[in-house]
Amino acid sequence: MSIETVFSSKGRVKILKILVEIGELNISEIARRAKLNYTTTNQHLQVLETSGLVKHKNFGRIRIFRFNQDNPRARSIKELMEEWNKMRIDKHVDG
Amino acid sequence: MFALTSVFKDESKLDINYVPPRLPHRETELKLLSQFFRFALETPSKMTQRVLVVGKVGTGKTVLTQLFGQNISREAQKRGVNLHYVHVNCRECKGSLFMIVQRVVLQFHPNYPKRGYSAHELLQALMQVLDEQKAYLILTLDELDALIQNEGSDALYTLTRVQEDRQVRTQRLSLIGIVRDVALLNRLDTSARSTLQRNIIQLEKYSQPQLRDILNDRVNNAFHTNTVPTQSLDLIAELATLEGGDARYAIELIWRAGKYADTEGARQVLPEHVRKAASSVYPTIRKDTISVLNTHQRLLLLGIARRFKQSDSAYLSMGEVENAYAVVCEEYGQEKRGHTRLWKYVNELSAIDIIKAESSGVGQRGKTTLISLPKVSAADLETELIKSLKV
Repeated sequence: MSIETVFSSKGRVKILKILVEIGELNISEIARRAKLNYTTTNQHLQVLETSGLVKHKNFGRIRIFRFNQDNPRARSIKELMEEWNKMRIDKHVDG
Repeated sequence: MFALTSVFKDESKLDINYVPPRLPHRETELKLLSQFFRFALETPSKMTQRVLVVGKVGTGKTVLTQLFGQNISREAQKRGVNLHYVHVNCRECKGSLFMIVQRVVLQFHPNYPKRGYSAHELLQALMQVLDEQKAYLILTLDELDALIQNEGSDALYTLTRVQEDRQVRTQRLSLIGIVRDVALLNRLDTSARSTLQRNIIQLEKYSQPQLRDILNDRVNNAFHTNTVPTQSLDLIAELATLEGGDARYAIELIWRAGKYADTEGARQVLPEHVRKAASSVYPTIRKDTISVLNTHQRLLLLGIARRFKQSDSAYLSMGEVENAYAVVCEEYGQEKRGHTRLWKYVNELSAIDIIKAESSGVGQRGKTTLISLPKVSAADLETELIKSLKV
């Protein structure tokens, strides 16, 4: 999957951001935090999973998604996002 | 205003949750507990254990198991065994199997969804987590009475059987139950009882000299040197012995006495401070009982206490309780909760044994819940509640 496909959606980036921050969550909770509905969230997560950035695990009926630390791309995205947040904080301090 | 000097060196050593590194007069029991769980360090996958710790209030049940938990976790880490010790208070979990298992699961997956499945499913999820992480768990169910009262034998049976249902797989879940009275087991059905009855550790009441030793230990850690004279300690030990060898009472007493000494700006904790403290601690209603309640449960209880103070009857009907509660709510400027929620609160309060609630049975005019206050005096309860609601 091409990088522009993965990053082409604001919702998807939001979901990635949440998972980078929290590590693992169930779909409803991701949806709530991203302010998206369940179906959209689910679809985004499917895309992210095919691209190898997230993984899921089943506990009976409960599905929990987590950020896939084993994937080198995922690790770089995490670094990028953390760097991004840092810059924002620095700027805030300067201003 | 804050006093400049204090008799305390480190108050936290008197906290109810503090686990001291050594437990005077509980060495044998600690060793016994470690013996029961030796396999957990040597051959953890081969078996599981169930132990019941029995003892009256303030005989060191909780602290004994917690210290054991710390020791065994440390030892397991040294040996590279992935062993977890989790201590859950059933009363804080309102006696619900679901909440108990949830506490455990949250230790492994802090963001596990909060609802949407049954206790049974959650238990399966827990076993799956343990399997995946190749982890072993010793789960301590403190105040097991609450779970049994609330859910009967079934919950306990489910917990003990979850291991037996998977005989072929690795054994992962061991249980320690803590109860005040063995008689509680009679309320269980035979199958649930038999799974628990094999290993019982009975904690006897502390004697007066034993309480002295415990107090000595704590005082050395919590107070500055020479701030607590011997005669004060003797008095506390004596009072606590009268209270049924209750070490927790003794520790709360010395803490309160220290507080009284501080407010007076005294340099020593004198027997007079102890006496003051003793008259302010009600052994039957402790801070910790009330502290687990939410605001509306406290308001409800306050309503009940006041109504009982005014009347001579032994029982109140649900309707009378609701009226009393409404009055209290108005006084505290709180919006009152509806009937269903109140009824739930009544059941919860009765599950943790502050009040007693029973169905009136079908009388002349329908059924109601009858509420009584068998254990504490209404006036004492009222004072404590008003204090707690102020904060």
